[in-house]
Amino acid sequence: MKEIIRITVGLTVSCLIAALVMGSVFVITDNAKKHNEHVNVQQTVLGLLGYTKSRPAPSDLRLYTIYRYIISDGDTSTLGYMLPVLKGDSVGYQLAVIDLDGQLVNQFKLGVTPEKASEPTERSAALKEVLKPPRTFVYADSTIIAKLGQRRLAYLLPGEFPGFKTFIDVMLALDPSFKIIGLEITEQEEDPGLGAEIKQDYFKNQFRGKSFEKLKALHVIKEPLPEEYKEYLERGKGRESPIPEGELEIIRSKYQDKDIYALTGATISSKAVTDGVKNMVTKFAYRITRLDSVITRQHIPVAF
Amino acid sequence: MKISGGNYLFPAILAIMGIFLLAGCTTDHRFVKKTAFKEADAIIIEFAGPVDEAWAGNASNFEVYEKPDPDIKLKIQKVTVSADRKTVILTFADALNKNQPHILTMHSISSEGKSMGTAILSVKKVYLGYLFSILIGAMIINNFVFTKYLGLCVFFGTSQKKSTAVGMGITFTIVIVVSAMMSWFLYDFVLQPFRLNFLQIVVFIGLVSLSVQAVDTILRKVNPLLFKAFGVYLVLVIANCIIIAVPLILADNQYNAFESLMLALGAGLGFLTALFLMSSVRERLELANVPPTYRGLPIAFVVAGLFALAFLGFSGMSIF
Amino acid sequence: MPATTKTNFQLVSNGILDENPIFRLALSMCPAVGISTTVMNGLMLGTAVLFVQVFSSCTIAAIKNHIHPRIRIPTYTLTIATWVTVIDLVLAAYMPAAYKEMGIFVKLIVAFAIITMRLEIFACKNSVSASFWDGIGMGLGFMFGMVSLGLVRELLGMGTILGYDVLGFRPLLFFVLPAAGFFCVGIMMAMFNYIELVYNRKKRAKQV
Repeated sequence: MKEIIRITVGLTVSCLIAALVMGSVFVITDNAKKHNEHVNVQQTVLGLLGYTKSRPAPSDLRLYTIYRYIISDGDTSTLGYMLPVLKGDSVGYQLAVIDLDGQLVNQFKLGVTPEKASEPTERSAALKEVLKPPRTFVYADSTIIAKLGQRRLAYLLPGEFPGFKTFIDVMLALDPSFKIIGLEITEQEEDPGLGAEIKQDYFKNQFRGKSFEKLKALHVIKEPLPEEYKEYLERGKGRESPIPEGELEIIRSKYQDKDIYALTGATISSKAVTDGVKNMVTKFAYRITRLDSVITRQHIPVAF
Repeated sequence: MKISGGNYLFPAILAIMGIFLLAGCTTDHRFVKKTAFKEADAIIIEFAGPVDEAWAGNASNFEVYEKPDPDIKLKIQKVTVSADRKTVILTFADALNKNQPHILTMHSISSEGKSMGTAILSVKKVYLGYLFSILIGAMIINNFVFTKYLGLCVFFGTSQKKSTAVGMGITFTIVIVVSAMMSWFLYDFVLQPFRLNFLQIVVFIGLVSLSVQAVDTILRKVNPLLFKAFGVYLVLVIANCIIIAVPLILADNQYNAFESLMLALGAGLGFLTALFLMSSVRERLELANVPPTYRGLPIAFVVAGLFALAFLGFSGMSIF
Repeated sequence: MPATTKTNFQLVSNGILDENPIFRLALSMCPAVGISTTVMNGLMLGTAVLFVQVFSSCTIAAIKNHIHPRIRIPTYTLTIATWVTVIDLVLAAYMPAAYKEMGIFVKLIVAFAIITMRLEIFACKNSVSASFWDGIGMGLGFMFGMVSLGLVRELLGMGTILGYDVLGFRPLLFFVLPAAGFFCVGIMMAMFNYIELVYNRKKRAKQV
């Protein structure tokens, strides 16, 4: 009997010590993890906009994030947009509830700052104060709007869609007319050497410059990538560009409206990225147009 | 080798499948019999009685959107009504994303002049098909040994003879199903709600040890003959990477109970298949003329490599 | 086995050569086959295993007199699981990109037979310092195995080492696929066998 008690006590004590060690490590690393994630997103965004260490972003570049939620009340659904609004000198958040036909239903002031708003738990807490049960809300996606001075520079869309193996996470940069400025693959678990090549310049740079109209009808062609196009796509990697300046423009206009050349041995991954980007942009364009019309009609003092 | 419980296993499986099929057969609305995806860009709706041509021909009576995007209504290109007016096919302008459930709303269904009310239904792929695809996926397409290269230590250790291989495979399948179900239960009801995700590893490995102990004790009491045949493999199960990989995967993908069961079954059966294939080859290798430096493990690795290449052929396959 | 009489250096070299986990003991082969696609992965996983092995060995060696014999195995498992969680959290926070490449293999360290076996055979019978060096030896042996495999596979498969383009072209993409992992490990094991054979032959020739 004493044996069993000793064993149980010994096990319980070890479990508690282990839990303590893990718990403290978790708390310490969690903060570092969130900070690192935030820094990563910032760097990706700046990279997509064309700013590097040697060409830093101008001081009047501002990034504002809109968070979209789907609010359900029994059988009806509405969209809730957390919009950054101007509050004197600083920026606060406001929730605009829009029904499925694009009409504003309700507006609430939210007590959350932009810094805190990047945390899902902080956003949920702020939303719970204004959206009482039986209404429930579910996070849908977010959009980052880059503003230079007084004009909108670009829209940056983080998104996720199924790839060949699991999911592919991307960050897409669009200009105000929904033309693609750049595409960055942030996370993928595709096959190395095959599907993982989607993160190489010669694939993802093919999306650059595709207009909205072309994007809506974008397909994947199973042909090998022409050499001159490949060199054009990979220029700027620090190596001497093999193409003379004058020819760059010719190549660019030649391939501007072509479809996406698939990766060798990774047609499914290529198609997944193309379809995913297509869906993301078409849905976003539809939504932002409606949101903008609500903002202008209701004179919401948004920061972007 | 007879399994005494086997007499009840098969009818039980049939009954479960029957329940699933039944559940997929009816819908929430009394007048609508069935809704399903058809080809790449259409939805087919079957009614319990004939619908009015005027109502069915008007595409604005139908609203379809993907469940996570309620604000984006999909454009219906045309509506086809069958001759007996009990079936309606909606064809869409773009291909449908069948992996997402779609919500179909039919306003004031009109049948022979009477209104049957408004129906809001969910159209999705057959759930049984999805479960089955997880099973086949874990068993063949993403075979844990040849495609995910897990569980290799035990694999090479027990694949020398067919009898040991089969014994190990069956024991492993039983333990993994038991531990996967317990892991799912703990993950869904304890770890996730309390945000204790970082305790995953400790909890799962603890559950594995517990399952091994449990299966060991139960087998000892219930069927000593079976225990004599398989008991020795139970200890080896803990050192198997797959046994902890399965709970980690189901936690990552947030599977529900049935999906976890399918994953565990697929993993176990896949392991059994791999072991059986490997042991068949290794038994013949014993009689072959292998160079001295390659004898034993090195040649086994090369054979496993060949199997892995063969299984590569399954990659990308998708049923349902 | 009574407490070891080897010097610290012998302990370390034992882990790398005589009892190399991957090539000689044939344990913990899952990552060797799966993740050794690049040198970077090998280094990272090797470091993680080193960390877990050293800390677990030291912990067990420190508390070996308080462990009740009946709960030996659960205690080992608990210790290993704790340290694996720690290194998993640390890697996920400070090196997220590399961590994602390794998938669930960091979490799977808990199921590596090598670590439990080492605790059972060595740590519970030896002092903390001896266990420390033995842990380092085993960890370094594992890292050596992973890195050498990664070197071969990355060079022949992608033409790069640690991401730097060395060859400028891709010889055989096959080496990056998992099937090649099996082949490479098998061939390298055979090579180790061959070296041992030759070494033994030379030793016997010298004795004669």
